[in-house]
Amino acid sequence: MSASQRPDPGPDRSPLSDDALQAGHEQIIGKQPDEKGKYRLLPLNLLFLFSGLIFIGGTYLGRFSGHFHPKVFNEYGQPPKAGAAAAVAVDPLVLGKNVYVQVCAACHQPTGLGLPPAFPPLAGSEWVSGSEERIIRIVLHGLQGPIKVKGVEYVGAMPAAGPGSGYNLSPEKVAAVLTYVRKEWGGIETPVSVAKVAEVRGKEGNRQPWTAAELEKIP
Amino acid sequence: MSTPPTQASAADASPFDGGARWPLTLLAGSALVWLVVGSLLALLTGIQLHTPSFLADCSALTHGRAQAWRETAFLYGWAGNAGVGLGLWILGRLGGHPLRALNWAVVGTVFWNLGLLFGLIGIATGSMTGFAGLQLPRAVQPVLVAAFCAMALPGVLAWAGRKREGTYAAQWYAAAALFLLPWFWTATQAVLLWSPLRGVVQTVAASWHAQSVVALWLMPLALAAAYYVIPKQTGKLLPGYDSAPLAFWTLIVVGSWTFGRHLIGGPVPAWIPTMAVVAQCLLLFHFLVIWLNFRGAFAGGSVTLQYMRFGLVAYLLTGLAETITSFRGIAVHTQFTLFGPALEALLLQGALSMFLFGGLVHQLPRVTGRHWALPSFVSGHASLVMLGVVVSVLSLGWAGLAQDALLNHSQTPFAEILVQLKMPLLLHSAGQFALLAGNVLLLVAFLRSALSCCQAEGASVLRPASSAS
Amino acid sequence: MKNRPLFLFGLFLAVLTSWAGFVLGSHGQLGSLTPFFDEADGQSHPARLPGLAARGQAVYADLGCAACHTQQVRRPGFGSDQARGWGERQSVARDYIFHAQPQLGASRLGPDLMNLAGRKPQAPSAEELHRLLYTGSAAHPAFPFLYETREIAGEASRQAVRLTGAAAPKAGSEVVATERAQTLVAYLLNVNSGFEYPEARPLPAQSPASPEAKK
Repeated sequence: MSASQRPDPGPDRSPLSDDALQAGHEQIIGKQPDEKGKYRLLPLNLLFLFSGLIFIGGTYLGRFSGHFHPKVFNEYGQPPKAGAAAAVAVDPLVLGKNVYVQVCAACHQPTGLGLPPAFPPLAGSEWVSGSEERIIRIVLHGLQGPIKVKGVEYVGAMPAAGPGSGYNLSPEKVAAVLTYVRKEWGGIETPVSVAKVAEVRGKEGNRQPWTAAELEKIP
Repeated sequence: MSTPPTQASAADASPFDGGARWPLTLLAGSALVWLVVGSLLALLTGIQLHTPSFLADCSALTHGRAQAWRETAFLYGWAGNAGVGLGLWILGRLGGHPLRALNWAVVGTVFWNLGLLFGLIGIATGSMTGFAGLQLPRAVQPVLVAAFCAMALPGVLAWAGRKREGTYAAQWYAAAALFLLPWFWTATQAVLLWSPLRGVVQTVAASWHAQSVVALWLMPLALAAAYYVIPKQTGKLLPGYDSAPLAFWTLIVVGSWTFGRHLIGGPVPAWIPTMAVVAQCLLLFHFLVIWLNFRGAFAGGSVTLQYMRFGLVAYLLTGLAETITSFRGIAVHTQFTLFGPALEALLLQGALSMFLFGGLVHQLPRVTGRHWALPSFVSGHASLVMLGVVVSVLSLGWAGLAQDALLNHSQTPFAEILVQLKMPLLLHSAGQFALLAGNVLLLVAFLRSALSCCQAEGASVLRPASSAS
Repeated sequence: MKNRPLFLFGLFLAVLTSWAGFVLGSHGQLGSLTPFFDEADGQSHPARLPGLAARGQAVYADLGCAACHTQQVRRPGFGSDQARGWGERQSVARDYIFHAQPQLGASRLGPDLMNLAGRKPQAPSAEELHRLLYTGSAAHPAFPFLYETREIAGEASRQAVRLTGAAAPKAGSEVVATERAQTLVAYLLNVNSGFEYPEARPLPAQSPASPEAKK
């Protein structure tokens, strides 16, 4: 076979011996010391390029690192501030809806239409859209005896749901569920504040369920 | 032959090759066997992409397992064996002493390959770990690390006990690869297999490892081969070599940082993908220097240099494409599509394999002291694998872009996406077939060469008794 | 590179830095994540996988399902994850704290499986999943080795996969899921992340007219 057919010149010829390979390249790296004896690391243009890449990389890192925070998954995101997370965490409407589904919906129904003759509707009820003082009291302490809603009289007993009762809802949850109910079926956007619930509870303490007549005396 | 005739037409034999002949031939042979196994599985998984029912009834060859086989056979079987063989050879030749502790290397090679064999049986029978790039059953992995330490020992000894103070780039890359793998593989095993980390931290560790296997182990071995073989073939010193040390350290320091480019938009903190982008940008320097150093490969005409040229172009293209696609705005289109496998094929089959082929084709005649027995098979291999890589990378890239349009920008039902990709996927299988055919040719040529060398043992046809080096 | 030990030490240091920074660093950040206790519904999220489903994860891993399926929903704006009904929010690290081996995956030749049971508009049933796994489809391989065809002894099993057409077993026999298939399907139907953790919320700037805020 002729040499030109060979995939490789093979061992019989060596344009560059191992020694020449090493010595020659060592010289390229080693020959740099200039007249002042300084060692030149790189040709200047490559050095500039390398520094440029480091600079671009550093800038990019500063911009998109998410401050190296474990809970920032979006490169544009900011780490959550202490306390801010808790404030965002509980949306009264979400919390209120959950409480409503767990506590209230069995009688008042998920639709808020109630179940005559015992359970009055919440949807469109003048009690829901009326004074928040009254419905806070109803939820905290319950209601007994007849009550007239949208011109129809219902007779039933609503158990207390506030702190210390069987349901033992915290003032936050009472406020949340009322906010939800008033927005969903009373069309009222203003939330019921936790402070207001706590204030009513402080005023009334733990008491027997209300009657409709007692409530109507409260503004 | 366009290689310029030079003054130094002395035979390129080193007095150190004789003792290393059988260990190095064993490594090269095991590598080529695994290469053919891996190509066969690559063809199988390629066919399964457009014909999912192909051999799917067989539980050992279901697509997920066949993919694990393919990846393992390619990375640890082919590239691992071939790279270690080349690394040892280069460190031995440039170290100026015969390789020491070669018995260890032989024992290590045997255990390494037995471990892989048992590992693949384990994958087929359901002990796969489920970490990409690290699917070998966990009982096998410590054995492989120990076997690797034995295989790498002569290389590290040759580095540490070298005659000449100064060193050459091929030595840095080879010594780094042989030295580093046991450390980080052990660390990965500890945190994934023996005392698993929690939740997505496992994914971070597994991706880090998969990236390091390529960037800190296999690619350095392949680059060592290229750094050694290119000047040996052209007879010229490398241009721009004074930047080589910084390019080396860039790869070693940030090469493993880039794994996060596949994790955008997902459940890992934003800084991990961002670090990957930064690392990719820094690696541009590495790629530039590799280009400056290796461009001499375009001057020669030997098949070895053809491999090296192809590998060089593929390496640079991969580097550029991976940098571009690591930015989130672009990654969002390529993530999860076949574009990822396309780039992986370009890196592994286009760059890594080609550098290793070039190294092997250069190495074998020198180690055995005889020319390749079937030179036309070797040239055929070169043509077929280059064709195969081009076809399969382009078709996968095409499929990836089409998949992006169907997956991310329309409501095409999933069942139809793969059907619409049938054309490029068929092409990809054709490319894989070319690769398989080529690799079989190389294995046959290797076996013929090794056998004829075996028969002529003692004759030392081309070997001068001792050449002053 | 002339100093021999220093070179090796430099290599070691480079890799140690990278490993410590990424692996130990993210372990320090995410390794001790705890479930999120939700005041509103009084439950902790995420819930642990039920026993059957937890075993199914091993089957998912050893069959290599992750070769074609991801289990991670990207944030709104990234691809069509949301539009395809795979989830309302992006997956976050906390979703995976009870997964023995998270299967995030890197390829979507098949659909994402993070919220299979909560998929909109309709989640597949266990029955449908078994049928797909047994028969396969134009885009999905079959896994017949996860099923057992046996003769009906007495009454037909209620858990037999209902099959029609060519795939149906011959009269008098039935196709029943093996334990592996059952755990796999249980796993698929239990990997879900419906709960919205604070860290999973999209940035305000990205959703100027967030529907939740308006409701």
